[in-house]
Amino acid sequence: MSAFPSGYHGMTLEVDLSSGRIERVPLDASDVYDYLGGRGLAARIFYDRIDPACDPLSPDNVIVIATSPLLGTNAPTAGRGHMVFKSPLTGMIGSSNCGGTWAPAFKATGYDALVIRGRAAAPVVLEITPERAEILPAGDLWGLDVHQTVNALTTGQGAGLRGRVLCIGPAGENKVRFASVMNDKNRAYGRSGPGAVWGSKNLKAVRVSGREKTEVKDKEKYRSGAEQAVYLLKQAPATKRLLKELGTVGLVELIDLIDMLPHRNFQDNLHLDEDVEKISGETLAKRLLERAAGCYVCPIACQRHTRVGDKKGEGPEYETTVMMGPDCAIYDLEAIALANYACNELGLDTISFGGTLACAMELYEKGILKAKDTDGLDLHFGNSRILEEMVRRTAGRQGFGDLMAEGSFRLASAFSHPELSMTVKKQEIPAYEPRASFTQALGYMTSPTGACHLKGGYAVSLAFFGGAKEIPRFSLLQSPTSIRNMHNLGILQDSLGVCRFTGFAFSVDPWARMASGVTGLDFSTAVLEEVANRVAAVERLFNIEAGMTAADDTLPERFSREPIVVAGEERVIPPEVIDRLRSDYYRARGWDEEGKPAPRVLESLRIRRRRP
Amino acid sequence: MHIKVKFLATFRDLFQSREKIIALPEGARLRQLLGSLCDSAERREAVFGKEETLSPHIVIMKNGVPVQNSGGLDAALEDGDVIAIFPFIGGG
Repeated sequence: MSAFPSGYHGMTLEVDLSSGRIERVPLDASDVYDYLGGRGLAARIFYDRIDPACDPLSPDNVIVIATSPLLGTNAPTAGRGHMVFKSPLTGMIGSSNCGGTWAPAFKATGYDALVIRGRAAAPVVLEITPERAEILPAGDLWGLDVHQTVNALTTGQGAGLRGRVLCIGPAGENKVRFASVMNDKNRAYGRSGPGAVWGSKNLKAVRVSGREKTEVKDKEKYRSGAEQAVYLLKQAPATKRLLKELGTVGLVELIDLIDMLPHRNFQDNLHLDEDVEKISGETLAKRLLERAAGCYVCPIACQRHTRVGDKKGEGPEYETTVMMGPDCAIYDLEAIALANYACNELGLDTISFGGTLACAMELYEKGILKAKDTDGLDLHFGNSRILEEMVRRTAGRQGFGDLMAEGSFRLASAFSHPELSMTVKKQEIPAYEPRASFTQALGYMTSPTGACHLKGGYAVSLAFFGGAKEIPRFSLLQSPTSIRNMHNLGILQDSLGVCRFTGFAFSVDPWARMASGVTGLDFSTAVLEEVANRVAAVERLFNIEAGMTAADDTLPERFSREPIVVAGEERVIPPEVIDRLRSDYYRARGWDEEGKPAPRVLESLRIRRRRP
Repeated sequence: MHIKVKFLATFRDLFQSREKIIALPEGARLRQLLGSLCDSAERREAVFGKEETLSPHIVIMKNGVPVQNSGGLDAALEDGDVIAIFPFIGGG
C-alpha cells in the first residue's frame, strides 16, 4: 500500500461511456482529509469535472458515486453510498443517498469512488471487480424492470461472490425527471432524478463484487466510538424499538398530532382521526407487514417487507405513504403499497411522484386540467383507484403520464399555473408542512438540492421533538443557526456513509472517534464541522455557477398567503420572514447577501479552485 | 378536573391504552398527572430521567404544543386539556 490514509483504497475508477475508456485514477490525499468521503468527496470530485452549464441529460453530465472510510467496517449503519450529478429535475446539484448492500460491495472492489461520463452508443452494463472493469452490452436487459434486471444479473453466478447490482428501470430509460437508481431491488437513490441521467447515458446497471478489505488504523479508538454508538442506539426508543416495530410510517399519527400532515397538495392540514388510523404504522404492522429488516450492518431495521394479497414488496415508508396518501386525500394503505411496489419496480421516486400527482389533482379539481387532458382518468382528490395506473403511465411516459414525468413544476407551468406546484427549486416538498415552524420552512428553502426530506425536512425534530434541545417553532433568532447545524450534521452523516436515524440516538462524537480510529487522521468534531462547512460551500458554488440565485431559496407563495391552523392559531410564513430567515442563514454560513460564499470563507476553509 | 391523555407508538404498549381520561384536583400540574400514570418502575423509567426530570427520550405535548420549553413538569393543567405522550423521533 501507498502512504494513503487507512480506511481508503486511494483509488477512483473513471469511466467514459462515449469513448469506452476506463481509467484508474489515484485520489488526492488532501481531498479525503478535506472532504472525508460519501457526499463530501463526491461533491468535490464532481465539482472538479463538471461543466456547470451542461444539459443534465447530455453526455457532458458527470455521475460520481463515493463511499466512506467507515464502509467495510462494522460501524453501525455504515453501508450507505452517495451519488452526485447535475439534476434534470432542478438544474442544480443532485445529491442522493442510499442504503442497502451495493456501496460496501463496490468498496470491496478496491475503489473509493466511481466517476461516469459520456454516453454509450447502445445500452450497457458496467461490471467491476478488483481484477478488471468492463463495459458490457446490456442486450435484452433494456426495457426490463428493476427486479427483473437484478434477477437477470445475479442468477447463474455460482456459489462464489455474489454480484451486487445498482440499476434503473423503465422510468430511468424514459428519462422521467424524477427517476431513481435502485439498489437491492427496493432501496433507492431516489431524489432529483439520477435514473434519468443514467438513462441518458444508456447505462442500465453497474454490477460489483470483490473482497478488498477496509483497514482500521487505531482499533482501540475505533472500537470505543463504535461500542458507544451501539450502546446509544439501544437506549433511544426510536432506534431501539419504534422504527423496527412501526417503520417510518409510525410517524403518521405523530405528525398529524402536531398539525404537520399535508392534505390536498398542501392546501390544508385537516384529517379525520379515523382516516389517519387507516394509514398508521400500527395498521401497516397488522395488515401488511411480513417482517422488518435492516440495511447492511444496521441494527435499527426500519425496512418493511410487506404483502398485499399475492403481491410482495417493500414499503411504504412515511414519506411515500403521506405523499401518495393524505396529500392526495387518499387513505387506502393497500393502494398506496401497490403503487409503492410499482415505483420500486419501475424506478420512480415516490415523493416526487406523490407530489406531482397531488398537483395534477388540484389542477383537475380547479378545472384547469380536463378529462380530455388526462386520457379520461378521473383525477379527483381521493381517487385511490388511479394510483398504481398513474405510476405505470408516468414511468412509461404514456399519454398524460408524459406530462407527469416532467414533475409538478413543469406540469403546472404547462397549464400556466406554476404557483400550484409545491416545490422548492422545482423539487417536490416532502411530507412535513412548512407553515408549522420557521425551521421547517428554512430547511426546505436552503437545501442545495431543492426541497428534500434528508436535507432540511427532518427540521421537524428541531421544532417539535427536540426535548431539552428544542428550539421555539417561530424563532427568527434561533432558526438560521439551528438549520445550519442540522444541514451540517446531515452532510457529515452522508459523508460518513451512515443513516440519518442514528441522529435520534447521538450526534457527532462517536463518529469522530470511529473516523479518526479507522483513518489515523484527526477527524475530531471540530475538524468534522469544518468538513461540513466546506462541503456546503462547494455545493453552493456549483449551484451558483449552474445559474441559481438567492431568489431560488424560497417557498411556493401558497405558504405565505393561505393560512393553516397550527396548535389553534392561524399560520403562514410571511414574505418578510422568508427574506429575514434567508439572509440570516447566509450570514450564519459566511455567505454574502446573494448567498455566495465570501472569499475570506473560501480561504479559511482551504477551498481550492476547480481543476482546469 | 379531567385531562385526556393520548398515548402514541411504544407508549401504547407500556400504558396498555390508547387514551385515558384522568381526574385530578384543580391546580394540579403535569408532574402529578405523570406521577399518577407511572405506577410501575418500568413506566417511571420511560417517562422520568434522573432527579425527577423528563426523560430526554420522551416528547409530551399539551394541546399540540411541546411542554419541554413551556413549564416542563411544572406545566399547569386545566380541565379539558389534551396531553399526548410519544417517543422522540422526527423523520421518515
